[in-house]
Amino acid sequence: MARHALRRILLVIPVLLGVLLIGFLLMQVVPTDAATVRAGPTATPEVVEAIRRDLGLDRPLYVQFGLYLWRLAQGDLGVSIINNVPVSQELGATIGPTLELMVASLVWAIPLGILMGTAAAYWRGGAIDKAILAVSVAGGSVPVFFLGLLLIWFVGFQWQLLPFTGRGGPLWTMEGLQAIVLPALTLGGVFIGPVARMTRTAVLDVLSADHVRTARAKGLTERRVVTMHALRNALIPVVTLVGLQIGFLLGGAVVTETVFSWPGVGRLAVGAILSSDLPMAQGTIIVLSSGFILINLAVDMLYAALDPRMRAA
Amino acid sequence: MSATTAEAEAPRRPGLLARLLRDPAAAGALIFTLLLLAAAALAPWLAPTDPLDNNLALSMQPPGSPGLPLGADAQGRDMVTRMLFGLRASLLMGFSATLAGGVVGVLLGFLAAFYQRWLDGPIMRLMDMMLSFPAILVGLAIAAIFGPGLSSVVLALAIATVPLMARIARGSALVTMRLDYIEAARAIGMTDARLIWRHLAPNCLSAIFVFTTLRFGQVILLGSALSFLGLGAQPPTAELGAMASEGRNFLFFAPHIAVIPCIGIFAIVLAFNLLGDALRDALDPRLRF
Repeated sequence: MARHALRRILLVIPVLLGVLLIGFLLMQVVPTDAATVRAGPTATPEVVEAIRRDLGLDRPLYVQFGLYLWRLAQGDLGVSIINNVPVSQELGATIGPTLELMVASLVWAIPLGILMGTAAAYWRGGAIDKAILAVSVAGGSVPVFFLGLLLIWFVGFQWQLLPFTGRGGPLWTMEGLQAIVLPALTLGGVFIGPVARMTRTAVLDVLSADHVRTARAKGLTERRVVTMHALRNALIPVVTLVGLQIGFLLGGAVVTETVFSWPGVGRLAVGAILSSDLPMAQGTIIVLSSGFILINLAVDMLYAALDPRMRAA
Repeated sequence: MSATTAEAEAPRRPGLLARLLRDPAAAGALIFTLLLLAAAALAPWLAPTDPLDNNLALSMQPPGSPGLPLGADAQGRDMVTRMLFGLRASLLMGFSATLAGGVVGVLLGFLAAFYQRWLDGPIMRLMDMMLSFPAILVGLAIAAIFGPGLSSVVLALAIATVPLMARIARGSALVTMRLDYIEAARAIGMTDARLIWRHLAPNCLSAIFVFTTLRFGQVILLGSALSFLGLGAQPPTAELGAMASEGRNFLFFAPHIAVIPCIGIFAIVLAFNLLGDALRDALDPRLRF
């Protein structure tokens, strides 16, 4: 178990370095000169030159990459060229809301998806199975922003039930709780279909296994066979597949945050790119990518913990 | 081709379309897809007005107004025209990205499978690394480098498609490579290029085709999301995601401006997903999952 974990962690290091290298190269290929930008339009060539030396921009690229990693290790991601706020400070303020939104979406979407998938497998071939399949195919074809706009228009605007812009505050306050409902419904809504489909496939797979045949032979009811014997084993592939969909969730979060003006990393990233704020764009992309890689690592560990067969490998 | 495979394959060919049409959902999706393609191709001739023709007097006219079956947007542009041209732009974006990513991915997948000893490891590790980036993130990075625009979106979606296509092509090529006829072709001294092109590729086509159809729906969905974020087609270009984004500003006064393009995207993606599922069942039952 520990060896498996260690190997996985070691494998992640080159990928993370790759992300940082891409983030670093992002600043190199862009045709704007960081020293000129930071010096401002009125600076003399000598000042620009001094800043260039100061930032290490006159050194070879690999030295610059080293310097960049060194600064990164100290939490220095540069400064926004729009409002001069340190990138790390903005990121620190937005990571929480993004995680909050993702967790709030998963806590209702995964159980509901698993429930739907299990129901579909239990009544396989029947009307309920077909209805659930139809809902999940349709759900997989809806643009996230469409779902968000519909909720805003009906629930927020027509019925005036819930707020639909920004974060209302901490989750333990009424305002905070109300504000997260529509964004979480939107992001979770596009996630149910895939989870339901995966669960259905996984449960059907397990239903043909030997231990399920034994359970049936013992005379257990079909309901007991499906919930106690099949679903439990089916959860292992479901965990993995859900983990693989985290990227999809992250992409959805970027869109959801924009639709609901949710103050998260995704919205920060989009805003930075649209205003050509490169240090900020670079920082957000690095954080989103490494966050995604780390979540994948965590899912992999969880998978190993759930499935004893994986531990030996 | 060995006699047994030939026998197994022979009756399958003519039945494909017939089998597709037997499933009502698949038949509907196929007909709808063809209609969409026709509408997109003929947009300049079908559209009642120019897509940039605005008439502020007609601003936000609701659907069903005289002469405006789908209403007008905030600039007073005919929504029928905008939808036709938006459909054209979105489908074109989807096709370019899927085609570019597909060609590169399939080529890499074939090379990995064919030169398994030298190329499989390096190519597939690279694909694994590319797969560890969600498409929207690739879109953000590309837009940060090259600036927002349709070409950035196409590039990003092509990049995000390459590793998926490479996996499918490699998997299907590895199965084909084990068949006797490949060995036979090699034995008569055929060059590698000819072997890949004439004998390997045709046998992998159905798996690749099925996956391409399903991927196309995803590409449209992702592309419209990037455009909605403002990273894709820029106004006043008519593109479905960008139109939804513009309409969002007028959601409370004229919801149809945002909702109609959204329904358009939903319909395209749904049609391609249903068609892809049906093709998978009809062409290659082994792929069912």
